[in-house]
Amino acid sequence: MSNWQSPEASARLKKRYAAERRFKALGLVAIVLSMSFLAVLLFTMLKNGISGLDWAFLSGSDSTDPANAGVWSAVKGSILTMLVTLALAFPMGVLAAIYLEEFAPRSRWVDWVEVSINNLAAVPSIIFGLLGLAVFIQVMHLPRSSPLVGGMTLALMTMPVIVIAGRNAIKAVPPSIRDAALAVGASKVQTVFHHVLPLALPGILTGTIIGMARALGETAPLLMIGMRAFVSTPPGGVTDPSSVLPMQIFLWSDEVDQGFVQNTSAAIIVLLFVLIAMNGIAIYLRNKFETRW
Amino acid sequence: MPITFVLICVLGLGVIAWAMSRARSAHFAPVAGKLKLALPGHYGIYAAIWTVVPALLVAWLWTFISPGLVHGAILADPAAAALPAFDFERDTVLNEAFALAQNPDAFASNPIAQQLAPAIAAAQSKFGWMGAALSVIAALAGGAFGYTRVKAGFPARTRIERIVLGALLLASFVAIVTTVGIIASLIFESARFFSMVSPIDFLFGTNWTPDTMASATSDMGDDLGAVPLFWGTFFIGAVIAMLVAIPFGLMSAIYLTQYASPRARSILKPMLEILAGIPTVVYGYFAALTAAPLIRDLAMAVGITNASTESALAAGLVMGVMIIPFVSSMADDSIAAVPQAMRDGSLAMGATTSETIKKVLIPAALPGIVAGVMLAISRAIGETMIVYMAAGASANLSANPFERMTTVTYQIAALLTGEGSFDHPTTLSAFALGLVLFIVTLILNIVALRVVKRFREAYE
Repeated sequence: MSNWQSPEASARLKKRYAAERRFKALGLVAIVLSMSFLAVLLFTMLKNGISGLDWAFLSGSDSTDPANAGVWSAVKGSILTMLVTLALAFPMGVLAAIYLEEFAPRSRWVDWVEVSINNLAAVPSIIFGLLGLAVFIQVMHLPRSSPLVGGMTLALMTMPVIVIAGRNAIKAVPPSIRDAALAVGASKVQTVFHHVLPLALPGILTGTIIGMARALGETAPLLMIGMRAFVSTPPGGVTDPSSVLPMQIFLWSDEVDQGFVQNTSAAIIVLLFVLIAMNGIAIYLRNKFETRW
Repeated sequence: MPITFVLICVLGLGVIAWAMSRARSAHFAPVAGKLKLALPGHYGIYAAIWTVVPALLVAWLWTFISPGLVHGAILADPAAAALPAFDFERDTVLNEAFALAQNPDAFASNPIAQQLAPAIAAAQSKFGWMGAALSVIAALAGGAFGYTRVKAGFPARTRIERIVLGALLLASFVAIVTTVGIIASLIFESARFFSMVSPIDFLFGTNWTPDTMASATSDMGDDLGAVPLFWGTFFIGAVIAMLVAIPFGLMSAIYLTQYASPRARSILKPMLEILAGIPTVVYGYFAALTAAPLIRDLAMAVGITNASTESALAAGLVMGVMIIPFVSSMADDSIAAVPQAMRDGSLAMGATTSETIKKVLIPAALPGIVAGVMLAISRAIGETMIVYMAAGASANLSANPFERMTTVTYQIAALLTGEGSFDHPTTLSAFALGLVLFIVTLILNIVALRVVKRFREAYE
């Protein structure tokens, strides 16, 4: 008969508690190490780049001389590209989400749509670049390295993200809202557009901002469609050759001149600042408008 | 510029049609014994749709027709008689002339181009305005048609809703069109590649020395064996990166779900997610600037003399860190899906928390965790910028992580941003690589999603 107060038992218990503490510490170490990687990364960029961050840098254009190079042309290219992406991906994504969640009958077509949306969300971004190159440039002859083609390519990439976020937001609106609208004589379309969509909008917007933030940091697909040209003047419109901020970082990181280390890091600070701001807005929207039914 | 003109005209006409139809329908007397079928606003929108949509369709179609017409007009021009007869030279001159017509400061070496440019500009403007006129006529005709339909008893709302439903359906098919577009373009270009290089040579050859300048007639198969790329991709994405991402991601998920207080969790989890939000180009730069030299020095210190500044290890480690939050959130979901009763049962038997985790939770959540790792691998092997900036270009069939290694994504990017012509097999091989990458990630995703689904069902 074993005695739980015997010396062997309490020794075993001690060992088990020690293992428990070790395991817990291991978990903490994993998180702390991941965080410290983040801290080192941010610190490196700040240390290298903060002194290069001034008005001349923010308003200047790319140059072969690191002292004169600035990010404005790339930032403007990014803004134009994102506008194209938003203009295409947001309406299409929201409409597709509404259709799939509210109107779609159970049919094979609809199954195919669902499967392709879920898969598109996981396709490597460089594949979208290949699509953009083969279709938009080789077949449709749209201008190479323009924000138009870049924005269209990124829109195809962002749309599935918006659809998935939109569907979740629409699904979260309780059926009683729909029933109430239908009961007072609204048509199905009116119910969805007047009642369900406004309630789902904060969730959709949060998903859209997150998708746009991802598109803003994307480099590989834009590399494919030739947005790596040296652009010394800010683009005037969506069909002009242009660069984008991540691409500018990539191009500068390739330069041999030591001065570009500062420029690259400073551009990274600008990019991360914008991304953190976007994510902050998304989190704010979610907390402010999230309704628990 | 006719485009702005067309847009302003058509939208203006749309507003007019909306206002007129709305005003007209406002005075409709209710039909006795019948419900009101639509509000004045519905009639307005109905007429506006009829004004704007056909006009924009005409304008859009015209952008496909007009280049042919301009081309025809130019060839009929007397100055075109001086064009060289050969296709290639002729195209060069014509391209120069078109560029000159767009922008008078453009460079043009050929005198014929300079003679043709004014004619091109004139033809472009003529056909542009012709298209604008057609589009405005379409707007007027459509608007008139829509306006005549505005009668008491006409179900404008039902019609609008039908159009809205059509738009919804169209939007959801964009996803299918994109998928089909990806598959079609990859297969089409790969077929062109495989007609020049045998698939066997490509898939099983072990020598990768792409040369976009090599003559396309020579046997390319010997230089385009992709096995080293597949190995590099696998080694960096599925081995090194996962050696970092799995333990760190799993342990952080365990700590966050089982040990951390709700307050600590609400702070730590978003911070961990920041890692996933950092653009890959930033990771790539960090890998190249900080991680790679550090790893080289480390390798030198332990006596590996051939360590280089670019290494598979640097790229793989940084990529692993990038994937940590992804693995963590997948593991988090799977652990949370294990029924509370199983955890309670184990604790009630006297097991400590860590024993419960190791002996009960992880085995029960294993299918979900494995699926999460598969998704993580599919993400890692499709990652481009980190390997582009930190792993190097030389195809190495080696298991030494301190060596340079190249990946499928690196080669796709490098081949298509190079100077090679688009008809050269070396350039086209990028599409074949893309096809392989697409198929592998697709299989990983489908299998993983199946596993997750089955796993969820098991506990419901």
